[in-house]
Amino acid sequence: MDIARWILGLFLAVVMNTSALAENPKDQIKQTTDRILSILTDPSHRGAAKAEERRKLIRKAVDERFDWEEMAQRALGIHWSKRTPEEKKEFVRLFEDLLARAYMDKIEGYSGERIVYAGEIIDGDRARANVKIVTSRNREIPLEYRLLKKGSQWLVYDISIEGVSLVNNYRTQFNSIILKSGYEDLVKKLKEKRSLEEKKEAKS
Amino acid sequence: MKINQWILVLSGVILTVIHSLVFASPPISSPSAENPSLTFGPAKPDQQAAISVPSQSPAGAVEEPVEAIADPLEPVNRVFFQFNDKLYFWVLKPVATGYKAVFPEPVRVGVKNFFSNVTTPIRFVNCLLQGNFRGAGNETVRLMLNSTLGLAGFLDPAKKELKIEKQEEDFGQTLGVWGIGPLLYIEWPILGASSARDSVGYVGDLALDPRTYLIASVPANLGVRSYEEINDHSLTLGEYEDLKKAAVDPYVAKRDAFNQYRQNKIKERGKTPQPPASRREPQGFPSVQAGLQELTKDRSSFYSF
Repeated sequence: MDIARWILGLFLAVVMNTSALAENPKDQIKQTTDRILSILTDPSHRGAAKAEERRKLIRKAVDERFDWEEMAQRALGIHWSKRTPEEKKEFVRLFEDLLARAYMDKIEGYSGERIVYAGEIIDGDRARANVKIVTSRNREIPLEYRLLKKGSQWLVYDISIEGVSLVNNYRTQFNSIILKSGYEDLVKKLKEKRSLEEKKEAKS
Repeated sequence: MKINQWILVLSGVILTVIHSLVFASPPISSPSAENPSLTFGPAKPDQQAAISVPSQSPAGAVEEPVEAIADPLEPVNRVFFQFNDKLYFWVLKPVATGYKAVFPEPVRVGVKNFFSNVTTPIRFVNCLLQGNFRGAGNETVRLMLNSTLGLAGFLDPAKKELKIEKQEEDFGQTLGVWGIGPLLYIEWPILGASSARDSVGYVGDLALDPRTYLIASVPANLGVRSYEEINDHSLTLGEYEDLKKAAVDPYVAKRDAFNQYRQNKIKERGKTPQPPASRREPQGFPSVQAGLQELTKDRSSFYSF
């Protein structure tokens, strides 16, 4: 047990070291993905008792690769600039939580799918990296990461699955709610959603 | 009624609805930014301003502009959305889950392949209508190979052995390639997410579907289609749940996902009337286009969630 932890620690140290070396968006995506996969497949993190710890580690890996603020800002679109700094902060947190909840289950449902790195397009400080998830039955799910360069890091600001951009989808939803019943109502709905999911999690 | 008559009546109804919407005065669409006025073809930038201004930064080659879909029928659509939601959770999901428990995945994929093989004429004709002659050729080869070596279409040796991909084309996309916009969103009961354009496309596809003529009895025809629906659902269980879990307003999330998905399919085909990357293409250098084409695939069941 202790040895396993020690090995993981060493592994993470190695991964973090190499993360300084990788420069291409594709390689950086691959690093984060590999890191998450190593958490998922690590026997010392298996089982329901370790769920909390496992989720924390995954969340940390995702946080380092995703630019939540950029995502939240894009999802709010024209309504972003009208918000006060406190509102922005609160909104980023709510949005981050919503996404992390929705996709943690997907990540944890990993069952040996192959991940193929299909290519990348770089245009100045923006890039797309294409990834295919291949299931055991050879069904392919194409994913596209859209990234923005900040320093030496490429950070994800959108994910597109078969042409459906996540941020665009949220922007349409948020815009529709704000136009109908205002920003406060959107925040209320996000909070309601969060407490609902928290209750569901507590049950299971 | 014979199925042909049924199609005629349906298309008549749809055309009437569209006609009344387009020529109704004043325009039905609300002046709010959420519903830009009805447009054929690409909407003008100013109509979309409120929705498609994603950020302050200039859009490079990486950005993809998305046009919002008008939704003047929203109150009715929401009612049918609730209906379809219940239909899924109360009927489709339990039935598909039971079906899934009995038949292993290879069998269900085989059934899907079989239906897909039968409906080759839809994809073949639409490839031609879009000027995608290689695509039409690929569909022909696929039909011949899969009907014989593929045991009446249950297997897909054309894809497996020769990497000849299915050309996921329908008449709605053809109309889109010809420059007709989605016009407005329609949530049909049972059939699910669609647009005015794609509803007309659906009728066109029915006319090209050999099953429309081979199974002339309406109850038998509906039976076959319902079975196909259950089979498709058994392969995509959980996807609708995921959409709902991630959404703040599931109705708008579904509408937008449908809109983006269709726009993307039309754009990819409109620009590149070519088959996806295959083994026969020159090897050795990664082509961006091949990578992008690789991204559109096999999701014909999207209509039905």
